[in-house]
Amino acid sequence: MPVWLREHSWRQTLTAVYLSLPLRGARATPANIFCSEQYLKVSVPPFLFEAILYAPIDDTNSTAKIGNGNIFFTLYKKEHAMWDSLTLANADKEKLQYLRENAVLKAHEKAKEETEAKKITKQDHKKYALEATMKVEEAERKRIEDLKEKERQKVAEELELWKNQQKDGDKYMSIQKKGELHQETEPLKERKSGKVSKTRIPNEGTSKTRLKSTKGHGSCSIFSQDLKEEQLPAPRAAATIKVNFTPRVFPTALRESRVAEEEEWLHKQAEARRIINSDLSELEDLKEEEKNPDWLKDKGNKMFAMGDYLGAVNAYNLAVRLNNKLPLLYLNRAACHLKLRNLHKAVEDSSKALELLTPPVADNEKARVKAHVRRGTALCQLELYTEGLQDYEAALKIDPRNKNIEKDAEKIRHLIQGTMQSS
Amino acid sequence: MSAAVGAERPQVVSHVQQALSYTVFDCKWVPRSARLLCLGSAARGTGIIQLYELHGGRLELLREIEKPKPIKCGTFGATSLQQRYLATGDFDGNLNIWNLEAPELPVYSVKGHKEIINSIDGVGGLGIGEGAPEIVTGSRDGTVKVWDPRQNDTPVANMEPVQGESKRDCWTVAFGNAYNQEERVVCAGYDNGDIKLFDLKMMSLRWETNIKNGVCSVEFDRKDINMNKLVATSLEGKFHVFDMRTQHPTKGFASVSEKAQKSTIWQVRHLPQNRDVFMTSGGSGSLHLWKYEYPAQRSRKDSEGSEMGVAGSVSLLQNVTLSTQPISSLDWSPDKKGLCVCGAFDQTVRVLIVTKLNKV
Repeated sequence: MPVWLREHSWRQTLTAVYLSLPLRGARATPANIFCSEQYLKVSVPPFLFEAILYAPIDDTNSTAKIGNGNIFFTLYKKEHAMWDSLTLANADKEKLQYLRENAVLKAHEKAKEETEAKKITKQDHKKYALEATMKVEEAERKRIEDLKEKERQKVAEELELWKNQQKDGDKYMSIQKKGELHQETEPLKERKSGKVSKTRIPNEGTSKTRLKSTKGHGSCSIFSQDLKEEQLPAPRAAATIKVNFTPRVFPTALRESRVAEEEEWLHKQAEARRIINSDLSELEDLKEEEKNPDWLKDKGNKMFAMGDYLGAVNAYNLAVRLNNKLPLLYLNRAACHLKLRNLHKAVEDSSKALELLTPPVADNEKARVKAHVRRGTALCQLELYTEGLQDYEAALKIDPRNKNIEKDAEKIRHLIQGTMQSS
Repeated sequence: MSAAVGAERPQVVSHVQQALSYTVFDCKWVPRSARLLCLGSAARGTGIIQLYELHGGRLELLREIEKPKPIKCGTFGATSLQQRYLATGDFDGNLNIWNLEAPELPVYSVKGHKEIINSIDGVGGLGIGEGAPEIVTGSRDGTVKVWDPRQNDTPVANMEPVQGESKRDCWTVAFGNAYNQEERVVCAGYDNGDIKLFDLKMMSLRWETNIKNGVCSVEFDRKDINMNKLVATSLEGKFHVFDMRTQHPTKGFASVSEKAQKSTIWQVRHLPQNRDVFMTSGGSGSLHLWKYEYPAQRSRKDSEGSEMGVAGSVSLLQNVTLSTQPISSLDWSPDKKGLCVCGAFDQTVRVLIVTKLNKV
């Protein structure tokens, strides 16, 4: 239940009412005051003051001053008349209620109107600002355009002028040409004047030479004869210069190079070298050199060359256990298996080798060709001719100049056709 | 890299634009005139030479000549000022010299190369430089040949790959160092990034280097002086400026390089009236105007006491984008400072004027 404030005091003039409302220590803010045409409410919880005014007031112009524990209202009357009392005397509950609601509604509407009005003014301001900036920019643009136009025109005029001068110059040139038939020294002077004044207009040039010729008459003619003969040196003696072009690691210019892939391949190889699968219990039994995959690979190669295929396979196996990322080990082991007729193993090893030989670059071309050929051979011996042919063709793609591969591929094709015909 | 102050910067003004009905590969000003030539290839596989004249704000077509093979490049460099014969290289490897007044039969013709002539340059004509008039052609067959119009059928110099060596396309050639009657050098750029400098007086290879990316265009700042600077442009937006006054026995010539844009730089052309200003044209349809500044000392001694060149610096004066297609050819007018023509692969040729070059 709010506490009603009733200790207000008021006085009036013809035009205004002055109301003083003590607040009993509570602090009021403008939000706590609600005023409409005929209804005034101050609600500072827990205090409440409410008044239905005797007559309507102009609530937009009325003021309220908050201070000193007091609110001082200055209410301007709509009709200039003396009020009998501040509030309406016999106000029953319903009327009060009605008045209150009305007041609230009115206040709402007013607020709405105000916001609308504010919005509209804001928009107008914005539009104005926009137009102003647009005008400024337009002016700027126009200024630049004008400058450009002026330049263009100036330049076009100059060009026309120069062109006309050229035309006159040409006329003089043609007149001179006719004169050539009569005087042999004429063309010579032309050349001289051409040399002296490279970009001068022919007009001036020719007039100068005319003066010259009259001055140094005698010597000039002798000079001109000599000059004419020395004029152009004989054509050079024909000769050839041989050139070498910068050798390139990649046969094409930078933008076509496959630098990225080459780098990747080199990187991979470097990585592979560094791997040591050291989790073998038998490692301690091995000699130092037997732990080196390269040494084992060489051993294997030697045994292969001597015909000891099983020994070679053993060597390669151990090497693989130490380092399973070296493609050459698998490649060579595949060759051994081929000789031993372990065809499935040969296929497996060649495939593993090919896997390790990515990315496909110029460096590992030979290895890839070998891998494809070995796998192809194994597959053919397993009578999987079509797959074998695929491998041979892949090998041919990498190295189209190898006659052996071509011949073998042909043979396989015939075989396939033969089996197809017979089946 | 510092750019010139705003209001004083040279502006590139587009004066005339002309749409063509064929692909234009080269455009050249006719010396001592307001006329220009466009060389190219028509859709039906024939070569086109068109002669235009600048008339008010338009290009007026004066003449159109059709030839059986598409034409790749042309030069006026080796003819005299009165004759003004055009030397062209075509897609078939033929070098022809035409009299534009009577273009039915060439004045000189030779099947110089087995494949397309990519680039051509001439020296000794137009009243510039001294010595015999010569034309150099660089072709996709890897050879660079120098021709004298007075000698039929055989070149006066032939720079070809050693027997058995795989050939690299030669993309560009340029003459230089023609300051007296005997001296001459030819600079050639290849697609693998090689730049080779051949001395024609000694008939030997004077210097070579490799700039990693294919060389699209080389040019000396002046053909007729003791060689001063050489600009080489390449793929991937880089160009190198070499200081050619001091050759170190092992290190060659000093250079400064600049990356202008992401796309290929197709052409470089020096301003005929100011040898330190040059324009590069790019694959993105843009033109950049550069100025070279010399260093305080152009050469210094290295640790062994031999002379070594010092490269200067390059600053961008202006850049402008004219087209979406590469601008493949560029030519400054030798008569009017700042007037230039460029041809692009969008089948248009544009005449541009670069202003305020006096203040550069």
